[in-house]
Amino acid sequence: MRRSLINLLVIGFALWFFQSGVKPPMEAPSDFQLNAFGHLPVKFGGRKKPVDTFARNLLTVLSDKQTVRLDGEKVSAVQWLLDSICGRPAALDYPVFRIENLDVLSSLGLEERPRFRYTYRDLLPHLGTLDTAARSAFGKEDRQRDLYDKQIMKVANKIYLFQNVLSAFEDPSGIPEEQLIATAQRYMQLENYSIPLIIPPNSGNPRWRPLMSSLLATHPELEQMMGNHKIVADPLAQHMAAMLTAYREGDATRFNDELMDYGRRLQSDNPATFEKLSFEVFYNRLGAFMKSAQLYLIVFMLSLFGWLFRKERLVDAARTLMIFAFIPHTLAIVARVFLSGYPPVTNLYSSAIFIGWAAVGAGIVIELTFRKKAAGMGNLAGSIAGFLTLLVAHFLAGDGDTMEQMRAVLDTRFWLTTHVITITLGYMATFVAGIVAVFYIFAGVLTRRLDEETGENLYRMMYSTICFALLLSFVGTVLGGLWADDSWGRFWGWDPKENGALMIVIWNAILLHAKYGKSIARRGFALMSVGGGIVTAWSWFGVNQLSVGLHSYGFTQSASFWLMVFVLSQFAIIMLGLVPQRFWKSGRV
Amino acid sequence: MKRLVNFFLSLKLTVVLLSLSMVLIFAGTLAQVDQGIWTVMDQYFRCFLAEIDLHVFFPRSMNIPNLWIPFPGGFLIGWLLVINLITVHWASFKVQTNGGRRIAGLVFMGLGVIVTLGVILGWGVAPVAATDSDAFWRVFLRLGRGTLAAVVLYIACVLLYRKRAGMVLLHGGILFLLVGEFATALCAVEATMTIREGETVNFIDHSQKMELAFIETSHPDFDTTTVIPQRDLMKKGTTLHPAGLPFDIKIHRYMINSNRPQPKEGIPEHILARYPQYEGYGSRLYVAEQSEVSGIKGLRNAPSVDVELFDRTTGTSLGRYILSLWFYPNFVNRTWDMPTQITVDGKTYTTYFRFHREYLKSPSGNPFSVTLHDFVHEKYEGTQMPKDFASQIHLVNEGDNVDRELRIWMNNPLRYARRTFYQSGYLPDDSGTVLQVVRNDSWMIPYLSCMIVFVGMAAQFIQSLGRYIRRGV
Repeated sequence: MRRSLINLLVIGFALWFFQSGVKPPMEAPSDFQLNAFGHLPVKFGGRKKPVDTFARNLLTVLSDKQTVRLDGEKVSAVQWLLDSICGRPAALDYPVFRIENLDVLSSLGLEERPRFRYTYRDLLPHLGTLDTAARSAFGKEDRQRDLYDKQIMKVANKIYLFQNVLSAFEDPSGIPEEQLIATAQRYMQLENYSIPLIIPPNSGNPRWRPLMSSLLATHPELEQMMGNHKIVADPLAQHMAAMLTAYREGDATRFNDELMDYGRRLQSDNPATFEKLSFEVFYNRLGAFMKSAQLYLIVFMLSLFGWLFRKERLVDAARTLMIFAFIPHTLAIVARVFLSGYPPVTNLYSSAIFIGWAAVGAGIVIELTFRKKAAGMGNLAGSIAGFLTLLVAHFLAGDGDTMEQMRAVLDTRFWLTTHVITITLGYMATFVAGIVAVFYIFAGVLTRRLDEETGENLYRMMYSTICFALLLSFVGTVLGGLWADDSWGRFWGWDPKENGALMIVIWNAILLHAKYGKSIARRGFALMSVGGGIVTAWSWFGVNQLSVGLHSYGFTQSASFWLMVFVLSQFAIIMLGLVPQRFWKSGRV
Repeated sequence: MKRLVNFFLSLKLTVVLLSLSMVLIFAGTLAQVDQGIWTVMDQYFRCFLAEIDLHVFFPRSMNIPNLWIPFPGGFLIGWLLVINLITVHWASFKVQTNGGRRIAGLVFMGLGVIVTLGVILGWGVAPVAATDSDAFWRVFLRLGRGTLAAVVLYIACVLLYRKRAGMVLLHGGILFLLVGEFATALCAVEATMTIREGETVNFIDHSQKMELAFIETSHPDFDTTTVIPQRDLMKKGTTLHPAGLPFDIKIHRYMINSNRPQPKEGIPEHILARYPQYEGYGSRLYVAEQSEVSGIKGLRNAPSVDVELFDRTTGTSLGRYILSLWFYPNFVNRTWDMPTQITVDGKTYTTYFRFHREYLKSPSGNPFSVTLHDFVHEKYEGTQMPKDFASQIHLVNEGDNVDRELRIWMNNPLRYARRTFYQSGYLPDDSGTVLQVVRNDSWMIPYLSCMIVFVGMAAQFIQSLGRYIRRGV
């Protein structure tokens, strides 16, 4: 009775936690209907998405955040985007450009700031300097570039992206005749870059178009030049232009009217463009991954306490909370599959989310399989893995759209589903075994919790997880080879990523053979399982740092740093485990 | 002898060998930061004694002396593992049954071997295989064939080895995979095929083998081509006396990689001072040896050969030439075509240093050709990101009555005449296609061994996990 009451409370807490922030802020009918504007379709990076997603992604690229903090107030990404593309003066003063490299800052003549975020107005006087430095960096070969060059390129790319987006929403109707040709040329060049295409296909025009080019066609001077060839103005583009003008002038009524007209017109002309959009906005607002991560952290704390002091009730409650954080985590992955049309793992970001998900799943499975014997170890391993991987995913999201389109070579649903999922599950299982091993060592050296029975149970857990890790990583690696064979005729090419995967397989095989050959017992097995975590981290992230071929779908510089931190910490834990067992607090187990 | 057997019987040896392979693979991965994939493969994996360069373990900015450590190579570790595996199984996994069960087991084993052979030889597979739909069913079918063989073999193992069936089967699968990869390392041939839209091509360029070709066109009906293979060109300092040519060829130097041709005007004086006095393109272009390209960037080496021709009767020099792969149109994706014209005794020889050329033939010996009708390169709207590459081709083999319109596209190759044609690249302005052409007769072995190991391992683990959980409750 009391148990189910606690469970109910836990579930209620989880539900309350997830619903917060989903509902958009209230907008009076006389306010700008920003929420509705956020639901409009836009195509960027080859994918149709709501303006809400586009604004959030753009802001994330520039500032690593999904909202702007201005004088203690939070401004939504959509509002920031509107202010910027409409050319409101306020847009100049949003601190959205994150520049954290001190050399770059000093070369641009900027002061260091607590949050490293700068406004466009701050940057304006230094754009020339930045451009010159960036050009020289881009001109170099990759090997010749130093850290400064790379950081300059990163900053410059942010600025170029922002400027291109602004240009894509320009209204060229005011441009004098003599600049018309130059402008047209500039627009044609811009269309070769990745710019947002806001005007969906409609009866007048079969392709997605950026606003500025659609408007240029109706420039009065250009119409005169074309003479008899009267160009029909794209009504959608005209509504959009009127909307942006109204916004700039602060005319909410006209903005809302134009927005309604735009929406109605698009709805009747090409209703398919609205598909999935509101669902995606809902998905953005839910932010399920970050919330799950926070809950996993709570689960971890509760379980740690419960496990150390053998509080079964606490462990039970934590398990319930983990399951109810796991469900939204699962649904959010399903939502990503639905929205992107790809299998769950397509890039480094989604691999992190998926590994976290699978690790929590494995934790639940361990709890259910080992029941009393697990005593919360499944909670512990699952929740900490879930929390850490979601945190990693959060930092990886800085590259922009996490549901980007796939390059031609990688675009095959079959292999993405079979190979990628199996191999990520293999990573996950090796990691989970490594985490259990870390607990084994900590509990043994630092506490008296590791008695004979617990030691045996943890050992069993590690052993069976490693068995599955070997199975999954072997099959996943071979499937990867088969993909390579099927796609470019080479089953095994000793490509760094392939080697990384193979090293996991071999490491797990070493573990099992050392166990069968009685070279290692429990403690040795635990120490080597921690090593498995290092090997996996190398394969998952380290290999990408070599900047390699087709497989290197993710490259980030700070990743190298955190990878080093992780590897060193794991080595330290192995060293700790090597302390002779007579010094262990739990004694010889 | 007994000590030797005991040595190979130990699981400790397995652990040591596997650990050595970890080190080797790790070093081989790091080496690819500045070496070509093929060099790394030869230096680390496809050899008995590997030479691990010390500097691969350190950041490239550090000045590490140019030392190498001798280390057991991929082949050596592989073979020792094979011996170790077989010995252990021989000694500790004895056939555990007698009588009818044993006979049934042997029958199933034979059946399994037949099914496996059938899968490798491709019984029941169409001679011209290309797909119009997704990869899904094609691959699924192949894995299905593998599973069929694996299940038959598993039944045999259960009959013969009872509870240890999974162990025996999975190690058999590993053995099979290792042997298959060894065969691939020795036999597989990679080549490319470059076709412009509308063009018909009947040969392939071997990627790893060069040759020097002299083409003489004075006869109205046919051209006479004399080819000098790479192994002769690599004998530095020797003089070749090819039959069919009126001159001798002295090899000054064979360069594994050379720089992109540059006008001599832009080269500093002190470097030019050491640059030989060449005839032909070398008289105005600078082409010299350069360190190998890194495997990581996916670049290719451009070999060149520095030769001097001598009149066979008088022995006088006819000029020194630098002949580079850079002058061969298929290497530079048809950006240019720069044959070296050499005139001796009134005959002009069009000379290319090129990829080894093989004319296409089906297994029955009949020649065939490929025509490119159209090349499609789709991008995602509003980006430069490729969405799809596809070649619409026409395959003709008159002798075998093959006349097919086919599509080769990303992840969907054509399999014909024991070769596989993959979409791999394209010519500038999408004016043509580059196909990767691979011949690998053991290509089905990984599919088979993957499923064999999977079945064996899954059976074994589920069995032992089940035992543990039952005991525990």
